[in-house]
Amino acid sequence: MPSTPRTESPLKQRLVGLSMVLVVAGLVFGGYSYWPAMPTAPRWLGAGDDTPRDGGTFIFHHESNVRSLDPHIAYDELSGMAVRLIYDGLLDYDYDSNLIPRIAEALPTITDEGKTFHFRLRHGVRFHPLPGHPDGRELTALDVRFSMERLLSHTTGSPGFPFYKSIEGAEEYHEGHSDHVSGIRVLDRYTIEFHLTEPDQTFLNAMAMTFAYPVAHETYEHWGAEANMHPAGTGPFVFDSWERGVDLRFSRNTHYFLPHHPGPDHMVFQENLQRAVAFMRFLNGDLDAIHRETTPDYLLIKGAPAWAPYRLEFPHAQVFGIGMNCEIAPFDDVHIRRAIAFALDREGWARARAGRLQPAGQALPPMIPGFDANLPNLQTFDLTRAREEMRLAGHPDGLDDEIEVWFTEGETSRFYGELLQQDLARIGIRVRIRQVSFATYLEQTGKPHTVAAFSTGWNMDFPDPSNFLDILFNSRSIHPDHSENRSFYRNPEVDRLLDTARSETDHTRRIALYRQANDIVSHDAPWAFAYYPMSFEAWQPYVKNYRPHPIWSEDYRDVWLDLPRRHAERPLFGTGHARNVAATLFPFGGLR
Amino acid sequence: MIQFIIKRLGWALFVVAVVAALVFLLMNWVGDPAVTTLGPNAGPQQIADFQRKNGLDRPLPVQFAAYLGLVPCVRQGSRAYLENPEHPGYCGLLQGDLGDSFAHNEPVANVIAHRLPRTLLLGVLAIFFELFLGVTVGIVAAVRRNTWFDTGFMATAFLGISLPTYVTGPIFLLLFAFFFGWFPVGGYGEGFWDHVYHGILPAFTLAIVGAATYARITRSEMIETLRSDYIRTAKAKGLGPTSIVLKHGLRNALLPLVTLLGLDLSLLVAGAIITENIFAWPGMGALAIQSIVNLDSPTVMGVVLVFSAMVQVGNLLADVAVAFLDPRVRLGNEAS
Repeated sequence: MPSTPRTESPLKQRLVGLSMVLVVAGLVFGGYSYWPAMPTAPRWLGAGDDTPRDGGTFIFHHESNVRSLDPHIAYDELSGMAVRLIYDGLLDYDYDSNLIPRIAEALPTITDEGKTFHFRLRHGVRFHPLPGHPDGRELTALDVRFSMERLLSHTTGSPGFPFYKSIEGAEEYHEGHSDHVSGIRVLDRYTIEFHLTEPDQTFLNAMAMTFAYPVAHETYEHWGAEANMHPAGTGPFVFDSWERGVDLRFSRNTHYFLPHHPGPDHMVFQENLQRAVAFMRFLNGDLDAIHRETTPDYLLIKGAPAWAPYRLEFPHAQVFGIGMNCEIAPFDDVHIRRAIAFALDREGWARARAGRLQPAGQALPPMIPGFDANLPNLQTFDLTRAREEMRLAGHPDGLDDEIEVWFTEGETSRFYGELLQQDLARIGIRVRIRQVSFATYLEQTGKPHTVAAFSTGWNMDFPDPSNFLDILFNSRSIHPDHSENRSFYRNPEVDRLLDTARSETDHTRRIALYRQANDIVSHDAPWAFAYYPMSFEAWQPYVKNYRPHPIWSEDYRDVWLDLPRRHAERPLFGTGHARNVAATLFPFGGLR
Repeated sequence: MIQFIIKRLGWALFVVAVVAALVFLLMNWVGDPAVTTLGPNAGPQQIADFQRKNGLDRPLPVQFAAYLGLVPCVRQGSRAYLENPEHPGYCGLLQGDLGDSFAHNEPVANVIAHRLPRTLLLGVLAIFFELFLGVTVGIVAAVRRNTWFDTGFMATAFLGISLPTYVTGPIFLLLFAFFFGWFPVGGYGEGFWDHVYHGILPAFTLAIVGAATYARITRSEMIETLRSDYIRTAKAKGLGPTSIVLKHGLRNALLPLVTLLGLDLSLLVAGAIITENIFAWPGMGALAIQSIVNLDSPTVMGVVLVFSAMVQVGNLLADVAVAFLDPRVRLGNEAS
């Protein structure tokens, strides 16, 4: 006989079900009410001793991953962060964006009407340990020549090559027609000269780029293709290890050539850390500095008075906008392009992004010479003028066909796409957002007659207007397969102004030429310039002597740590809901 | 049985090959890895060099054949080169060579060998949590069925099944790591026990869905088993409730769980991709995402192949285990 299962009455089952619903609802509302508030003050403070000293480990992060530690290959921002710890350049920038000598003894002597640059190197600059040189060895002019030739070599495939093409013989060497670059001459152990084919006012900026950081030939001879995992420069930190996609570790260079500057004994660069996780780690004291926060996290730190001494918001030398391909209809009509430029409600975009960007109306960001807040043809939000331009284009009621605008992946990109849709709808232009991978974006927008409109931007390589205007709007940047001038904008007058400015030695005249070119570009609107992003960085109270560098992103070379850090005494859970059950039961910090 | 295993292995290889071909096509369709690897300002010459060096300038079928190891190539140091007539040889999947990672600049096999143990550790911890929580809750719910206990647990299990890891992960991280401070805020730690400590929260996140499923299945199987005649006989013989439930009831109720465990590997693999990224756990899941973002197609291929092989092996082991555990189950030709 089968056993009889125990059954409950339907009424009881319903009661149990109803009770469970109530319990879940109670948990949700209870959880909401008692959810701990985010701490609004630093958890850790410094020891309180203002004397700079050595010691400790500085931990920083990035949400993406370092691509390369080879200064001739690394071109992305975060690879540059790591490269600058290991290597040094002949030249560098101070905190006012002025060029300063680093490995060079002084700024070079410039002769031959701006075509010859004569560098004297410091004595006693030592490489980190190298194969065959466990204590390193002195850097000489031959190392500088080796490094520059490696950079210019076809086999290296450095993306930096175009910046140094003006060196005499660079192109022949690149194509393998010569053994050495004729324009690079080693005069003695500590002297090297560079000859250019024509005056190039950006050459010194190029020499301060990480591409030009000297490397040692032993590294490449010994390690071959694996040299990237064994970087050795002359910089303030020695490379220890790199677990790809996880972290990079560095130790202080005890033989650094500059007068001793106190700093951490070790640095850890954590890669691929999601923004939310990074923020939690930062508040927890597991990270010593943070950047690129999510908007809620940004607002939390920005609105917390206790963080005020340890945060800074500043404009970034970047410009973003909507690029329009001047060879593809309807953007081959300047009036359509101008209409779009006048239709962007830049202030609205800034509000929508919680004030994390500044409206832009021209190609040059405010910190770049040539920027003019009163540019005659500044692009501004003006619906009347936008509609007038649509009328001049023969479309007073808007465009019949939808336009497709390319964006890269991600929520933020889509958000900008939606702002654009909203703005252009006011002048009768319907926008279809197309999101593609970054690789596809770069590949396709660089091809002629391929992508009509796209969200675009440019990050400064060096603080000179040519780095924006020449690269983005000179017709020389148009290439059949891979154009950096992605709007395929051609204006002979702009080309003439830019070419003249490139070799103009008089600074004032040079900047005036760029200002003129900037104005024409703004008027011709190959881009509807939209915004300059703002950077927001915060660091722990025990991190001393940090201030964001105007040229280098997250440059932590000069920090020192006020250790041992001490636990903040202030209530860490804030007020209001913070006085909750969780905070009472579980002291912040818990078992760790 | 042997025939069955051989047949299943054949199918598994076929599935893995199809997956490899699909992923290969997808990765080539998404974009040019040269552009992603070299960055936005790489010139056409650099892009062409990269493509030539990595064989990306060849027709797609040739690239796939080279990947499989059907086209002559030579390995020098850590890199494999397609063009080297002086040193003819073969390197590719059929030779056990997964190629070289564009982003890591080393053989994909090395990269995977480094990451796989971490994902396995996470998987083992997750399976432990799944079984421990799921089976315990299932037994208690079955023994105390239709009580507040049972309904409460099953409602929680329903919630667990419904919540994806990308929801539970950040909540757990915020609550148990950040606010309560019981666990580290992501990461991997140093030393075995530190790895385990760092792995508890991500493994628990990964285990939630599985534990809920195990709880529901254990409960229903246990209820069925406890109604059986032999259990009644055991009761009549005077066996204690613990012995009846654990020794006689659970043993039979566990059989479906073995199959589920094999299938569970695919869920753990899929979950690991999300969970590892949330918790900054540097395993295969995180590697998969990084490689996709970097368009590092050889690494993506390698990761997908390893994942699909793991799923196939898991399914096969589950089938074989069931056959061993239950003599009534017949496999392959033996069934006829």
